[in-house]
Parts: sequence; C-alpha cells; structure tokens
Amino acid sequence: MMVLAVAAKSLIAVMLLVAGGAKLADPASFAAAVRLFVPLRSPWLAVRAAAVGIAAAELALGAASLTLPSVGWLNPLAFSFTCGFIAVSSVGYVFHRGRSCRCFGALSDRKFDATSVIRSAAIAVVAGLSMLKVPPALLAVTIPGRVLVLLGGVVVTVAAFTAARALAFDRRRGMEV
Amino acid sequence: MFLASVFFVLVSAILCVAAVGAMFAATDAYYLSSSDAIAYDGLARGSASPVWSLTAISGQLVHSPPQGLPFQLLVFASHSLKSFPSVVDGLALLSRTAPELEIVVLMRGSSEIAAPVLRMLGLGDLAIVVGSSALYGRYNVRVEPFVMFVDSEGLVRANSLVNHAWQLERLWQLARLGLAPEERPAPRLERLRRHMIRA
Repeated sequence: MMVLAVAAKSLIAVMLLVAGGAKLADPASFAAAVRLFVPLRSPWLAVRAAAVGIAAAELALGAASLTLPSVGWLNPLAFSFTCGFIAVSSVGYVFHRGRSCRCFGALSDRKFDATSVIRSAAIAVVAGLSMLKVPPALLAVTIPGRVLVLLGGVVVTVAAFTAARALAFDRRRGMEV
Repeated sequence: MFLASVFFVLVSAILCVAAVGAMFAATDAYYLSSSDAIAYDGLARGSASPVWSLTAISGQLVHSPPQGLPFQLLVFASHSLKSFPSVVDGLALLSRTAPELEIVVLMRGSSEIAAPVLRMLGLGDLAIVVGSSALYGRYNVRVEPFVMFVDSEGLVRANSLVNHAWQLERLWQLARLGLAPEERPAPRLERLRRHMIRA
C-alpha cells in the first residue's frame, strides 16, 4: 500500500504541473471555460484573474507535492482539489455538456461529458490513495533528490506551457481559415 | 526507510520523462526535423499580415501592407537565395511582368553581404529591408526562402516555402484570386485591424 500511496502522490503532482502549465499558456481559453461557472455579469478581468489563479494554484500545489513529499497536509489539499474537479465536471456535464473544459489547456480537446466525470472520479481516487498513511520519515527525500524532482517538475511545466501554446496558436490559425 | 523516498524520486523522474515525451509526441509536427513541419510555417490565407514601415537599404521607406500597389510579395530570404537559382529567375520574371506587385526582400537580420549577393543575382532593383527574428516570428516563418503575398488591405493572399520558379507562379495566381467570405477575418477582428492600420 505504501508503494501505491507514494506513486499516487507523484502522479497527482506531475498531473497538476502539466494542467497548470498548459492552462497558463492560454489563459484566455481557460477563462472562457471558467466563465461557464460564474455569473454572466462577472467582469472579464475578474474571470481571467480567477483562471490564472486556478492555474497558479495547481502549479504551486504540484510543485510542493513533488518537492515536499513528507508534508502530510498537502495530500488532503490535493484530494480536495480533485474533488473540485469532480464537482466542476459534474456541473459541466449537467449544464454545459459538449463544451470544452480546457482542463489541460490546449493540450486536450476534452469536453464536459460522462467520461469526464468518470475521469475526474478516477483522479480523485488516485489522490485519495496518496492520503494512505506513510510515515513522514520514510519520505524524507534528500536534497539532491529534491533538486532532481524539482528540475523534473520545471521541465514538465515548461514543456506543457510550450506545447499548449503551440497547439493553441495552431487551433486559432485553423479557425481563421 | 530509505527506499520509499528513493522510490518517490524514481517514480517522479519517470513520470516527468513520460509527460515530456507525450507532449513532444503531441507537437512533433512543429519541429523542423519532422517531415510535415513546414506546412505549419506562414500565415493562413485571409489572415491579417503584420503592419510595419521600415527603411530599405537603398533609403526608401517600405510599408507593409503596400501603399499604392494592390499586391506586395515579401521574400523571406537573404543570401540563401543563391542556392535557389530557379527562385531567383522567378523573382526576376515577376518583377518584370507584374507591375501591380511590389517585391520586398525581408532579411532576418543585418548582413553586409546580402545586398551585394542580391545584386550579383540580378535582383539589385528589389527593395531590401532588414527585419528581425521577432518580425519573422510574427509571420511564423522559420524556413527560407519563404514568400508571402499580401494585398493592400493587409490580408495574406498566399504563402509558402519556395524552391522553384513555378511555385512562385502558382502562388501569384492564387494571390490574385479574391478571398472568399469565409476566408476573411471576423468583422470584429477586421475593425480592430483597420483601426490599428490607421493608428
């Protein structure tokens, strides 16, 4: 079980970094998805700020989980985040079925549908696994190990940002034709 | 006691590599080493072309979109043209036979030998403008020689990498075809673009 918990923690952290980096690459598109969940009269600037805030929070949580695996309270925080994904995909499924969720920015074309709810639930299950009890002392990563995963996280974030930006540009180009 | 942390680092490293690999696979067409990457260069027909005014090496002021002529041919190249004699012949032919077309050689950066080389190739009469990598980026051009036909409204009519004169001819034919309504920018974007041109 300890192996599962550790692997789940790592998986959720990397997933959050990819999602955050990709969303930050095209905040306007993600803001359009956020707008589906806020009152219509909300100012665009506030919606955009909320979108950037969500992406930044995902990045921060992913980076913290990756570099500080022994900090226990990050696990329930990540789990609550993934519960938020279930809530968003469920509401999206009911009210905005077929609309793009932009969960991974331009990296994916996933839409609000039944599969997205199941996927969110699966992610929450993985995040739940990461909450299994692992003695913090066992997860005390050494400084070189911490630097290594931090570098890996930075590379993943930059790669997600770059790839999402390229794909977003190409989609816009396609729409212009 | 040591193994759990090592396992975490190992799994994280593997996941990071896998994530980067997946993103690379999703965007491989954008890398010049792939076969279909060049199809992504340039701008879509009907989209707005960057607006600029630059002084040519000869001292004349060059505007894009063109002022006074219905079409402009931007040639993204410098001394690389010497490797493509057929393109040079095509450009020389166009400059003789298409009076409604302004031909501008837009270099990526300053080069002392570019102008003499173009003169040597028989293209000394063309306006030569020193651009920048950023300007090339705005045109989404990475490969040379690349050409782009722009109309007086600042809309892209045709563009492509060219290696032969016949490609220039075909592109010129395509450029003269009017834009279909669905090829034109959305009205809101069009208004914004016109406002920017006026500004």
